[in-house]
Order: sequence, then structure tokens, then C-alpha cells
Amino acid sequence: MTEETPKAPAKFDFKDTETLLRYLDSQGKLYSAKRTGLSARQQRQLKRAVKYARTLALLPYAG
Amino acid sequence: MNDNQYIYQAMFLLDNGEVREQGFNAMRDWVKTTLEKHGATVKVLRLWGERPLAYPIAGRARATYLLGWIEGTDKTVSNAKQEMYLLGPVFRNMFLKEEEIPAEELGLGIEVIKDEDVKVLDDTPVVESLFEEEEEAESSETKAAPEGEAEKTKAAPEGEAEKAEGDAPKETGSKEGEAAKPAEAAAATPKTEEA
Repeated sequence: MTEETPKAPAKFDFKDTETLLRYLDSQGKLYSAKRTGLSARQQRQLKRAVKYARTLALLPYAG
Repeated sequence: MNDNQYIYQAMFLLDNGEVREQGFNAMRDWVKTTLEKHGATVKVLRLWGERPLAYPIAGRARATYLLGWIEGTDKTVSNAKQEMYLLGPVFRNMFLKEEEIPAEELGLGIEVIKDEDVKVLDDTPVVESLFEEEEEAESSETKAAPEGEAEKTKAAPEGEAEKAEGDAPKETGSKEGEAAKPAEAAAATPKTEEA
């Protein structure tokens, strides 16, 4: 069983919560790069976007 | 801090209560004047949406999001942030340095919407419910704690009693011996009194 990895956008935007939610589990935790299949740079961009979204209460904090 | 001009993308979370009372346009103008007062050039300022918060912030469950693109220095931004922290309807804000303003955003400019068109929903009283939950949790803890302590205190004497029972044959033997002596003495004394 292999899970389908979502197609990564050219740039992760903190306002695009629908896209960001695809990379979060039900607890709101970010998936690992191994699971997302993103490059190191994309994973960093994703991490930053998720953190900005959390600051603005667009996404929940994990837990 | 240097005096270089940067482009910032800014997001402001407005208090729904104040937006409802004073109107969206007044709130947007307050943000605009605050930014301009500290030397920023406001390129775009528009309503991004009214939506629920992912987690409650100071008892608020919903907020009105205002998106802006501004040009200014680091000092401009820090001063504006400081003022917004102390005054006004903005309860959270974020400024991000960007390389350029997207063409789609530039086209929007400073958006003017009728106050009636901005639908602001009622906030649920999150603070009260949170406090109630905390109080309930505390009361349940305090109720649970004495029981636990009581169990401990109950258990402790039993243990001691068991110990006492375990030790009883030795002590009782000696006590019985001691108790027997006064009884014998008491039995002997009447005789002396009688005598």
C-alpha cells in the first residue's frame, strides 16, 4: 500500500490552508520529508508556511 | 535596524466586536492611518475574510482578517506593531518581508466595501466555557484528591493495625504479664485493707 503524495505547489503560501492541511495529520503535526516526498528546500518552505498559518490561527498547533 | 525600504505582506486580525460596532471601513482606516503615521506606504489593504480561529485567542472564536501590502523600513514596522499591540482593534498581526507585490494584489489597492457587506458572525463566549471547564476540572481534582488521601489514611491505619496485630502476641504477652501483676496486687491489697 503506497499513499499518494499530493502534488507540491511552486510556492507554499501560509494563506492557502487547504494545501497546507494535506501535509498535516489529524493532530495538526507536519508530516516528515520522507512522507511528503518534498525536497529539503520545499520542506523548509512548507514548515515556514505552516508556522505562519499557526501564528495567525489559520491552522491549529499540534496536540 | 537600517533605513532600507522593504516590501512587506501584512495580515491583521481584527476584533469582530469592534468591527460590528464601528464598521469595517473605520477599522481599515485605523490600520491604514497607524501604518502611515509611522512612515509606511500602504499599497494594498483589503478584507481577506471573516472566519473562525483554529484556536481561541483571548476568548475570541472568530476574527476578521485584513490583508495588506506595505512598503517601509524595519523601524516603521516595529513601531506600528507596538502601537497595534497597545491600542486599536488589531489583536494579532504579522509582517513578512517579500520581494515584490503580486500583480493581482496591486490591482485591488485599498479596497472599499460597504459595512453592510462585511458579515461578522457572533463570537461564542469561549472564555466563560473555558473557565467553566477549568473550574470543573479543578473541582473534580479536589474531590478526587481527598478521596485518594482518605484511602491512604484509611489504608495506613489498617497497615499499622496489621502491624500491631502482627506484633500483638509479643506485646500482649508482655502487657498481659504487666497487667496481671497489678491485678494480683489489687487482689492482694484488699486483703491488706481487710487486715
